Amino acid sequence: MTIVQQAIPYIALFFIFGGFFFLLVGVVGLLRLPDVYTRMHAMGKCDTLGTGMMLIGLMLLFANITNITKLLLIAAMIATINPVITHLIAKTAYNRGTPMVEGSFLINDYVASRRHRRRQPLVTVREKGGDNG
Amino acid sequence: MVEIALYAVVVGLIVISLLSIARAFSGPTVLDRLVAMNMITTNVILTVLIFAYLDNSYFYIDVAFVFVLGTFIGTLCILKLLREGFIL
Repeated sequence: MTIVQQAIPYIALFFIFGGFFFLLVGVVGLLRLPDVYTRMHAMGKCDTLGTGMMLIGLMLLFANITNITKLLLIAAMIATINPVITHLIAKTAYNRGTPMVEGSFLINDYVASRRHRRRQPLVTVREKGGDNG
Repeated sequence: MVEIALYAVVVGLIVISLLSIARAFSGPTVLDRLVAMNMITTNVILTVLIFAYLDNSYFYIDVAFVFVLGTFIGTLCILKLLREGFIL
């Protein structure tokens, strides 16, 4: 048994714990950030990176070409699906007029222009808290 | 040694899922809950893969793959319902 074969589980554990660290950072951002958009920012980046690192570690542990191919497929699917879902959640929140954090210097142009076109008085756009959002 | 570390990682993933459930329970809007559910599904996929290694039963990798696709379609349907008011 060469030294490379002895070192493979430790490298795999390094990748797995690195991925776990990124997932932990993502959930801390999910709990502590004040806004839908910032929470989504934390979730999207940390989730994709942590999942990729954990899948690399599991690929090193599964020493079989079939399983490694399947894990590569799962990694590719997650790396494409997760940014798409994050983008769609961001666009839905923007179009629904979900309020940003207080003190933000950004204005939701989409909802403001729709209200102006309908000649309605410009009120503060707030989303009702509840199950329907 | 590797197995003990992997069990520790599984326990950590369960703790992360519980913290995400706290956000899904107290999120002010429905999109917060959707983000938290996305995080939980990722943790479930990783837990299934780690148990596939620990049990040496490699069919669970296919289960994880189907789970990825299923959660993608589910989230897409919920977003379409929120944007347009209907699904099909």
